[in-house]
Amino acid sequence: MAKDMTLLWGSGSPPCWRVMIALEEKNLQGYNQKLLSFEKMEHKSKEVMEMNPRGQLPAFKHGDRVLNESYAACMYLESQFKSQGNKLIPDCPAEQALMYQRMFEGLTFNEKMASVIYYNWKVPEGERHDSAVKRNREALSAEVKLWEGYLEKRSGCFLAGKNFSLADVVVYPSICYLFRFGLCEERYPKMAAYYNCLKDRPSIKATWPPTWLENPQGQDLLKDI
Amino acid sequence: MAQDMTLLWGSGSPPCWRVMIALEEKNLQGYNQKLLSFEKLEHKSQEVIDINPRGQLPSFKHGDVIVNESYAACFYLESQFKSQGNKLIPDSPAEQALMYQRMFEGLTFYEKLNAVIYYNWFVPEGERHDSALNRNREALVTELKLWEGYLQKLGSGSHLAGPSFSLVDVTVFPTVATLFRFGLSAEKYPKLGEYYALLKERPSVKASWPPHWLENRKGQDTLKDM
Repeated sequence: MAKDMTLLWGSGSPPCWRVMIALEEKNLQGYNQKLLSFEKMEHKSKEVMEMNPRGQLPAFKHGDRVLNESYAACMYLESQFKSQGNKLIPDCPAEQALMYQRMFEGLTFNEKMASVIYYNWKVPEGERHDSAVKRNREALSAEVKLWEGYLEKRSGCFLAGKNFSLADVVVYPSICYLFRFGLCEERYPKMAAYYNCLKDRPSIKATWPPTWLENPQGQDLLKDI
Repeated sequence: MAQDMTLLWGSGSPPCWRVMIALEEKNLQGYNQKLLSFEKLEHKSQEVIDINPRGQLPSFKHGDVIVNESYAACFYLESQFKSQGNKLIPDSPAEQALMYQRMFEGLTFYEKLNAVIYYNWFVPEGERHDSALNRNREALVTELKLWEGYLQKLGSGSHLAGPSFSLVDVTVFPTVATLFRFGLSAEKYPKLGEYYALLKERPSVKASWPPHWLENRKGQDTLKDM
């Protein structure tokens, strides 16, 4: 069970956080885990490379089954532990379809966010352009407005269906990341309501990034989005 | 069933192809479909926007249910039609885990491919750099070696998650086929070449082969020196 599981993770990383939320939701507390530092390049350490040749976090194992891709780990956990913890995939076909649709739009969401927040990390100095930064910010703004619209149509705290689902597991961490980087709550009230509503969910409280607790003040890169 | 389904698609687009393979595998032939042209910007037409506000293909509807993201449509179809056609998610936990892991690595694979073959499509002229394209090419080579290694470990005749065809083959084969369409050398990547040759013959793959690839047998050679 949880004792046969190992997670190597970094604080605040949405992909790592997704897996941790899924583990909590499926009552798999007690897994072996190690917090590593991206700044100290520990994601490229031998320990990580042995589990994940891509040198990325999360790195996750269940026995000898390796599931380093966060969505893969989440879907595997729901499938293998369907009968314990919270049900994360709705039975109703329409709700299920919406869940899958939002899960995968969530990848686009995360990419557009990363292209703004990590621009200087990903693009070497000689290749940077203001035009690219501007375009990436506009794309993120359009994406955030799309999700604000999706949340407007929902009553309650969940992206798909009447309950917390895999869509929330995978997308909520990215939404938190937006607010951590200064997204304006007044401008995006539905997203802010979703963010605040789920903050108190046990699986989310239990896995809230420790570095965010130590340092409640985030950044303001996204305040004008 | 299939009559209540509509797919708007573009020829040669791996995301569209994934959904078409899944529909064939689940015996859902006879769905309504319309082939659109990316070059003519038909993916931005009202018809598409009505189903998919992102103006992207594939756009897919089943009755009132809309599932445009290709992986989402594949998972939805397997879930809703589990008992018909071919089983696409293995029962064995170990195979299942490998299937999920490779499916999501498959997204990285697809991105790294696009970063090379569609560099000029994605990057406006004033922002292009040889250094960036070179870096993208190196990243693709690293990725290719990884997948060549994965197939090597599984042995000849294997699918991506083990002996049986599964959702990972539905989602990743179109990327592999695109690599060869763009000139990847099967001599340099023999395991990928074997995998490609094996799956080319699968009925669902043959039935959904990009029509313009049939009309134009010769692809491009962007990747021949990889």
